Amino acid sequence: MLLLAIAHLRHRKLRTTLSILAVGIGIAMLIVMLGLSHGMLNEVADRMQSVDAELIVLPENENVIFTAGAAFSGKYAPLIDAFEMDGRRVVKRTIGVMVDTLHMGGQQQRLFGVDRDDMNAFLGRRKIIEGRLFDADRKFGNLLDSMRNENGYYDPTRITESQEASACELVIDTRLARVGKYSVGDQITFLGRSFKIVGIVQSGVAGRVFCPIQVLQHFKNAGVPWVSLFFVQLRPQQETAASNYDERVADALSAHIKAKVELKTAYRQLMYESFSQVYIYINAASGVALVVCFLFILLTMYTMVLERTREIGILKSLGAGRMYLLRMSVIEAVIICTCGTIVGIGLAFGAKYGLESAKPLLTMTIEPKFVAIALAIGVVGGSLSAIYPGYRAANLDPVAALGFD
Amino acid sequence: MTTISDHILKVRDVHYAYHTAGVATPVLHGIDLELRRGEFVIIMGPSGCGKTTLLNIIGLMMPARSGTVELDGAEVSSLDDAGRASVRRNKLGFVFQRFNLLPVLTVEQNVSLALRLRGDQLDGQAIRILERVGLADKRHSKPNALSVGEQQRAAIARAVVRRPALLLADEPTGSLDSRNAQSVLDLLRELNASDGVTTLMITHNEHLADRADRVLFMHDGRFA
Repeated sequence: MLLLAIAHLRHRKLRTTLSILAVGIGIAMLIVMLGLSHGMLNEVADRMQSVDAELIVLPENENVIFTAGAAFSGKYAPLIDAFEMDGRRVVKRTIGVMVDTLHMGGQQQRLFGVDRDDMNAFLGRRKIIEGRLFDADRKFGNLLDSMRNENGYYDPTRITESQEASACELVIDTRLARVGKYSVGDQITFLGRSFKIVGIVQSGVAGRVFCPIQVLQHFKNAGVPWVSLFFVQLRPQQETAASNYDERVADALSAHIKAKVELKTAYRQLMYESFSQVYIYINAASGVALVVCFLFILLTMYTMVLERTREIGILKSLGAGRMYLLRMSVIEAVIICTCGTIVGIGLAFGAKYGLESAKPLLTMTIEPKFVAIALAIGVVGGSLSAIYPGYRAANLDPVAALGFD
Repeated sequence: MTTISDHILKVRDVHYAYHTAGVATPVLHGIDLELRRGEFVIIMGPSGCGKTTLLNIIGLMMPARSGTVELDGAEVSSLDDAGRASVRRNKLGFVFQRFNLLPVLTVEQNVSLALRLRGDQLDGQAIRILERVGLADKRHSKPNALSVGEQQRAAIARAVVRRPALLLADEPTGSLDSRNAQSVLDLLRELNASDGVTTLMITHNEHLADRADRVLFMHDGRFA
């Protein structure tokens, strides 16, 4: 039966090739869409996971994925620092971040405004590949701190243009540097001012672009020390029990400061939930692509049955039963779909290479489970597509089939 | 004296009518036929007299409306579709006027397909039968590379490779010139003589009739 199926496929090389390509394109589309959507989200989630902190504090009703701008006043940081649970201070360090966006590398980038002294929580073991960190010796930060009153405010008009200009510095990651062909010393216009790239850090840090938080606060909030969110480092857990220590602290802290407190480890899940609508679209589009390609297979197999009506009559005269003819149709379709799936996987890897070469900020992940899903869908879909044509073949009247021209 | 076991085929009171737009057109009117093992029988008759219909009913390609067909001692006309396919696979061989070789397979593959369908080991059977019909050197050719005479020889090889109890040949020389027709008939007779292949053949060619053990004439759905 396999011999006959292969002979049929070889006999119609162009149609077989087109069928394999049709399945391949559908499968590649599925893998690319899954790979891109999961890859992009996982890449962002991985970068956020790299921050040396356990909790993320956000305003209530805010979304950790999309939060930006000034959300918390300067009073929150001491509140969080002083937070106690079970009569013991649990917070080791509170890191305020001002989030904004700027256009670099051909697209909007998330900019993290961070105090220079907090950058080690973001860098971890990652190295500065080129240049240095912004706000060398925390000169600008110290200047503003020296001018603040007891409420943390200062008079922004007392800052000279040259002081402002010297503070306008950015650190970017290597991926963005590669995409935008940026190097240390390049100038970027942001907030109507010229920002200088002073350092390039290994990719994998939470933000692709960092600048001094004081600069953002100075230009955008007239020096008011508000932040978008806090990363919170917890003190090491003393007691050995309570495996859900972080969750307990998050719940208690949330109730204490009346803000949303998320576990950093939940960021990935939060991202997936935030983009759940997008996933519905992606799954629907992938599903439609697959249905179309399997309809193509069904049509191909149906056409093959019509073309081979006489041949089916011959096989019946030789004693081929219904199941034989049904299996023959299914085997042909499975061969087409298996080859198509392999081609599709190859196309998907090619697309990954092409996309990531053309758009290095895109991350496409082809996980083994995507390949397994593609193989399963390809083979099962192919089999199902062939059942109706196979059924038609199996039920042809042998005498009428033999008389068919 | 003829015994019951001598008969490979018994057809009893077979009727058949084609139905078109609710109108029945009777074709066979109570056909009775018996074939002894090893016999070579030719059925002749004008077009439309029901020869091919009878052959299709005997070959279990279509069911009789009434009557019975007994093949190799077993009643086969009431079998279901799977049972009919099994009988075709194990007991019958067909040779058609239009050869009906599968164009996508080589000659050898066409012949071995008949064995594969039955689950038989190939064991060089296909090559041996192709040697007998004089096509061993063409075994790797596709049917469209053969002459019509060679195609019919290949079709005969495919039909007899499983050693069928009954070989049904429907106008096997109908598409051949006289030389090829004679050659094909020689082959069928040789297989009949040497292997004892019982053969029931339809032909219009009166010149072939004298090669049969028995000749039956059909007219209007009955044996004359």
